[in-house]
Amino acid sequence: MAMASVAPSLGEATKMPDWKPPILRSPAAALLAPGVIFVTLLLLGPLAILFRYSFNRFVPGELMVSALTLENYIKFFADPYYQDVLWTTLRISALSSGICLILGFPVAYFMVRLASSRLKAMMIVALVLPLMMGNAVRTAAWMVILGERGLAASIVSLFGFNGRLDIMYTEKAVVIGLVSVLLPFMILTLQSVLEGIDRSLEDAAGSLGADHVRILWRVLLPLALPGILAGVLLCFTLSMNAYATPVLIGGPKFHAMAPEVYQQVQRAMNWPFGAALAFILMITTLVLTVGATALAQRHYRRWAD
Amino acid sequence: MSEIVLSDVCKHYGEVVAVQSTSLRIGEGELVTFLGPSGCGKTTTLRMIGGFVDVTAGRILVGGTDVTRLPPAKRNMGFVFQNYALFPHMTVAENVAFGLEMRKIGKAEIADRVKTALSRVRLAHLADRLPKQLSGGQQQRVALARALVIEPTVLLLDEPLSNLDAKLRQEMKTEIRLLQKSLALTTIFVTHDQDEALSVSDRLVVMSAGKVEQIGTPRDVFERPASAFVADFMGFTNLVPVKVEGHGRGQLRNGMAIAIDKESPIRGEGLLALRAEHMSLSSKPVSSDVNTTEATIEALTYRGSFVDYLVRLDDETRLQVRGEAQSPFAPGQRTFVAWQPDAGTLVAAGQA
Amino acid sequence: MNATAPATFYRVFALAVLGFIVMPLAVIVWVSFFSNKILSFPPAGYTLDWYTRAWERPEFREGLFLSLQTALFASLSSLAIGVPASLALTRYKFAGRDIVTNILLSPMVVPGIVGGAAMYIFYIEFEVATEVQVAGTLPGLFAAHLLVALPWTIRLVTASLIGIDHSISEAAASLGAGPVTIFFRVVLPVIKPALIASALFAFVASFIDLEKSLFLVGPGRTTLQIAIVSYLEWNLDSTIAAVATVQIAIIAVLLLITNRYAQLNRAF
Repeated sequence: MAMASVAPSLGEATKMPDWKPPILRSPAAALLAPGVIFVTLLLLGPLAILFRYSFNRFVPGELMVSALTLENYIKFFADPYYQDVLWTTLRISALSSGICLILGFPVAYFMVRLASSRLKAMMIVALVLPLMMGNAVRTAAWMVILGERGLAASIVSLFGFNGRLDIMYTEKAVVIGLVSVLLPFMILTLQSVLEGIDRSLEDAAGSLGADHVRILWRVLLPLALPGILAGVLLCFTLSMNAYATPVLIGGPKFHAMAPEVYQQVQRAMNWPFGAALAFILMITTLVLTVGATALAQRHYRRWAD
Repeated sequence: MSEIVLSDVCKHYGEVVAVQSTSLRIGEGELVTFLGPSGCGKTTTLRMIGGFVDVTAGRILVGGTDVTRLPPAKRNMGFVFQNYALFPHMTVAENVAFGLEMRKIGKAEIADRVKTALSRVRLAHLADRLPKQLSGGQQQRVALARALVIEPTVLLLDEPLSNLDAKLRQEMKTEIRLLQKSLALTTIFVTHDQDEALSVSDRLVVMSAGKVEQIGTPRDVFERPASAFVADFMGFTNLVPVKVEGHGRGQLRNGMAIAIDKESPIRGEGLLALRAEHMSLSSKPVSSDVNTTEATIEALTYRGSFVDYLVRLDDETRLQVRGEAQSPFAPGQRTFVAWQPDAGTLVAAGQA
Repeated sequence: MNATAPATFYRVFALAVLGFIVMPLAVIVWVSFFSNKILSFPPAGYTLDWYTRAWERPEFREGLFLSLQTALFASLSSLAIGVPASLALTRYKFAGRDIVTNILLSPMVVPGIVGGAAMYIFYIEFEVATEVQVAGTLPGLFAAHLLVALPWTIRLVTASLIGIDHSISEAAASLGAGPVTIFFRVVLPVIKPALIASALFAFVASFIDLEKSLFLVGPGRTTLQIAIVSYLEWNLDSTIAAVATVQIAIIAVLLLITNRYAQLNRAF
């Protein structure tokens, strides 16, 4: 089939001097060109440059010297400080996506089983609105709540504790902030997958003698695995790259990867190292994402379409 | 003991009445079919028995035990779903084993019983397949095996054949009936297909708009419909208005006197249910012990081995009459419609 | 779901989690009316003064205007680029369509901070090579925000184009309409709600962008998000709550309008 269709078009190509690949002959090319050129020029090209710069050498005073060295990457993995930054980032990301899953699943299930479609639509609005309020504002809100004289501390003091909560500027506070920011993503992702699981499967399991916990464990969770994976990976990736939450809720002594990239590129003007940081962040996320996907797919590729 | 008793069971969704107060007794080992068009409440009733839908009022007893408030998991009923509801992530064997695992039965016994259940539906060789690798008929049989392996007290089948093609439906119908008889399992079968209902059941429960219209043997229901609705649903194409005068006498709207069922309790305005194939056309009146009335041929449809006529009586009543394909009547022709007095069934005038 | 124990559990749990998501926003709106000089709970009284104070600070006033301006540009220009691209992606079959789709959606996948850093370095290198300043200029910021908005537009418009029955275009063609007429007389009216929704959504996406803008704002030219974050690094008082409340109001109105034209969850 493939051979047959390729051969005549090659024949044409030799006859026609102005032969173009099929995509450029299609009207699609003209429609797509502006977007593709724009994204390539402003994002993908610059990313390639950034990648190349991560192998350059930083010389204080001279800024950047063209080179082909791995020293930025070596510096990162040799320095306990940066190892700690990466480790902290991984930890808060894993923790917050795990908590999002635990908190999000029952909510998503509740939404899917809601009889009233009006109520369901209202819940979706209540999830999407906070999602699009911007991380700056949402983080500010958590600062007001968790701060030294914040709402949480005042409520705690009402119950007789001495009003010092000391949670602001801790890893716990960062995780709380991240969970609150990311939960709607998790819920919406899970909801769309659970929506596709036939209600009669639960009924069938029930009629065969399974109580709710066993229906959850043996039927719902396995079938929701693709959605669980998608939701967890989305939350994990967004936590890995979070900026506002670690900077503002974590405070000046809390170090995560994304703020560190900003610090190196913009403040320290150490482009090669900043570039290396950026790619270590992206590649770490990518490797974990691909790994988790491969691992999870072993369980559901068999039966999922 | 697995007799099912519904006593004054009803289901309301807010203002909407899905199932009106219904009482019913299904004997041990009996196969009863709930028959009716979609939205008639048959599936809701079945799901109430299965425990998937809360009962608004009334009680459900199985073998003398009140199960009304029991969750499905505690009812020990075998339920076969319309779309089979096989767990897509489990193999055929795992699907069938599920209910046994829930009953905390030992591994060896599970393996044994799964094997037996699968051979009973002739699927032992496909035990390790996934549901999506099976044909519709095979999936259906897995669903049946899964429901039966738990040794349920009753078997509930929700439109089990509606997703199969005609040939397979015929096969499965026979298979289900044989299996049910050999296990002497009390069974409820829900369908909208009268043909299916007639051939598979001991008794039929015909439902419409949340109400039971008639309960009876297939022959009862097919030959002696109890209401205009049942008559229409069971293929009585003609419902002719008739004035019942008693003593087996009646009068059509065009004034024609006819003989009708003496036993019928209906008096005054009634409807005479007649099947197209139980009437005949002739060019001159036939003998006087047959009901006869004059009519005009309006239209005809050639159907191969026969012809369907639409005829009009003088009072504008239209009838469908089936005739032989040879030497058909032509539209506009005058004719005589005739039928045996016992071919018609009298039902109360009302909504069909 | 039966009125059983699990049902009650799910209802209570869902409400609690929803509260956890929505509560912070309610708190910050509440705080914006506190009369205390130093933020503490419960409030001593209520006032609207913080709104005046926030308005008097140039970084918030100008930040708001710059953000609105940028978002408007991003939203309209991403329609101009995104609608043709979506048409091509849904109407034509060609080799490499997946690659093209991935390229167009890549701004959503590449972390904001990494993309921002890459653009920033690119802008500076461009300036070194051509002596035309881009970093810290309005066009430089606009371009970055177009990048933020474009994938959202393409996703929403593509989804709605896939949803329409292709045979209505064929019917129009059989009645003698050319491709341009078909687009304006048949396709456009059908996808108009989706276009409005995606324009509004892209507007919001640009308005709240923080990471990409971080590198690209210049002296005296900060977006509202950057202004909020910079302020929060050193202060926490009701001024910021007032700013946040204004932002919440603007976005809530925009999204509620969006919701009238398209199901909001289709964007995710």
